Amino acid sequence: MNFDFTEEQYQLRDAARDFFAGECPPSHVRAMWDDQTGRSPALWRAMAETGFVGLTIPEEHGGLGMDEVDLVLLLEEAGRAALPEPLVETTAIAAPTLVEAGTPEQQAHWLPRIAAGEAIATVQLAGAPFAVDAHVADVLVLERDGRLHAVPSERFNAVAQPSLDGARRVFTVEAETGPDTAMAGGPDAAAKAYDRAAWATASVLGGVAHQLLDMTVSYVREREQFGRPVGSFQAIKHKLAETLLVVETSKAATWYAAYAIATDRADRSEAVSVAKSYASDAERKANLEALQCHGGIGFTWEHDLHLWLKRGKALEQAYGSATEHRARLASRLFAS
Amino acid sequence: MDLNLTDEQQAFRDEVRAWLQANVPGEPLPPTSTPEGFAAHRDWERRLYDAGYAAISWPRAYGGRDADLLTQAIFQEEYTRANAPARINVLGLGLAGPTLMVYGSDEQKQRWLPGILSCEDIWCQGFSEPDAGSDLASLRTSALREGDEFVVNGQKTWTSSGRFADWMFALVRTDRDAPKHKGISFLMIPMDSPGIEVRPIVQINSDAGFAEVFLTDVRVAADNLVGELNDGWRIAMTTLGFERGTGLGSHVRFSKDLEELVALVKAVGADHDPLVRDRVARLYAETEVYRHNMYRTLTRLAGGKPIGPEASLNKLFWSEMEVRIFETGMEVMGPYAELTSKADAAVDKDTWHKRYWYARAACIYAGTTEIQKNIVSERVLGLPKEPRA
Repeated sequence: MNFDFTEEQYQLRDAARDFFAGECPPSHVRAMWDDQTGRSPALWRAMAETGFVGLTIPEEHGGLGMDEVDLVLLLEEAGRAALPEPLVETTAIAAPTLVEAGTPEQQAHWLPRIAAGEAIATVQLAGAPFAVDAHVADVLVLERDGRLHAVPSERFNAVAQPSLDGARRVFTVEAETGPDTAMAGGPDAAAKAYDRAAWATASVLGGVAHQLLDMTVSYVREREQFGRPVGSFQAIKHKLAETLLVVETSKAATWYAAYAIATDRADRSEAVSVAKSYASDAERKANLEALQCHGGIGFTWEHDLHLWLKRGKALEQAYGSATEHRARLASRLFAS
Repeated sequence: MDLNLTDEQQAFRDEVRAWLQANVPGEPLPPTSTPEGFAAHRDWERRLYDAGYAAISWPRAYGGRDADLLTQAIFQEEYTRANAPARINVLGLGLAGPTLMVYGSDEQKQRWLPGILSCEDIWCQGFSEPDAGSDLASLRTSALREGDEFVVNGQKTWTSSGRFADWMFALVRTDRDAPKHKGISFLMIPMDSPGIEVRPIVQINSDAGFAEVFLTDVRVAADNLVGELNDGWRIAMTTLGFERGTGLGSHVRFSKDLEELVALVKAVGADHDPLVRDRVARLYAETEVYRHNMYRTLTRLAGGKPIGPEASLNKLFWSEMEVRIFETGMEVMGPYAELTSKADAAVDKDTWHKRYWYARAACIYAGTTEIQKNIVSERVLGLPKEPRA
């Protein structure tokens, strides 16, 4: 039994951390808030060149042929950096779904282009009202009546719906599906795509929460009141210990869910709902305590904290809130 | 990442499972807080010993199996799953024995280890005192050297199995003038010594698993001192470090608690209440996350890596989770929650609220929740220490 990552997987994480520190600092995230599209083709191309974008795409289509266990630490890093680009939608959901459920023609057309950074893919699953980044997407993996479709951009219209997180771009979509857009996989493939979406979002939330906690710990060690660091007061220490407990332990849940998806374990959907509900709650706790412990400065537009506060609030609800995932767990627990 | 067991681990699991199936008593043993119950548990320990399962983690040289951590966890999982009797010499096997292996002289190891392993000698822990709980180093029980003996005076409390134990491993103050951590020694005290009086403490769950131990001019042979004089604090920290290993495989216990909660919810017809469903699902998620983190800790420890941040969080995690599990059970029982087994109308056999109270105790013993949060915030997050008086 081994519940740990390989040296290579840790190297990928370190490479991702360095890459995002250089290419996606808070100033970049802020710039994307004010940018017309909110997306940087140069950054996406660089992410494709390092192999991040095509990580889940088989080597014969130009990717790295890796799985969710390889990807999960990269997603955490994306959360720590508040990456605006659609790594979750393209790499964690759409690409592996095309690999498993696409027709040979869809695979041959889209997978090499996605791996090369030439095409962006997004998704709209399980009755979700919005699709992320539909304005820059070349293909939309859409669930309609339990069936998956790969809809090219000329067959859908996207209407922007401004988000509380200025770096997120969400859209209502009108798509024209037909027999030619249908994917090969049935309802099982749609269910698995949704599991991937919820799991990947939980993984990013783990990184968001980690960053919120790190920023807060640094702040309370520096900030002095009553002649000593505010982080020396038990009222603050205990809040942050409680936050660490849920943030740190939530990671093992997303790792387990990654393993359950990658190895198609029987408890895949439960593992995903455990991860998404727990990671959403953990991030909510980090979100609350981060702003509280920063005090007034954290409430200013100028301070970077809200880049993560807002990403966290958006992702808590994305692909199933904690409550929705618990309802899914309850229907299994109380099935008989 | 690979959660499959090796062939060897699977074979061991099957062997343990089969043995437990054949040997675990069909009816639960009487409670350990009664003399008959304690005797029955002692017999059970003897059967474990005869089958070679008393302390599989101990080195072969001392009669164990040299079992690695994963094997220990497998044993613990099976043991819990089989509803096997509570172990009564956990303190001897898990704390006193391993401490002796590190700090005991050869003569001391030969003298005490065989009796611990066979459970002929039951051990209790003499650390806490009425005024030395979270602040353990302020303990006052004194041991003054007189010839070949120490003369011990003081009081220990919260002593598990105190009434039935044969030996106590105790922390005693041997130098009053030294700074408080420096004047403490580690002494083995026979519980049948003249001058020892044991008074059971009846707990709020009506069990009497703990005792107060009064020591008045108790004469203890000087060669019962473990390690160097006044080096007891360092030894005690090693002992408490072993305590962390005792949680291996404990996730099975919480998963079972959760299964019982689901069954209770169904039994009282609360399984269609959306609020109850949400709470139970939340608790299920917590028990699962606890299990995932157990895998994480086991992998780290088995690979010889230092214990990770998740392990310092372990006690905080399970103690609070268990309270929530039993609290939810109490709430779904509604008005029936207050009934004891003596009530005709009771819906459960008196066990739920007893376990609820015991879960509350877990937030107090072995470092209270508040102490754990201090430790985590200072040692893991690196926050500044509270100014101390």
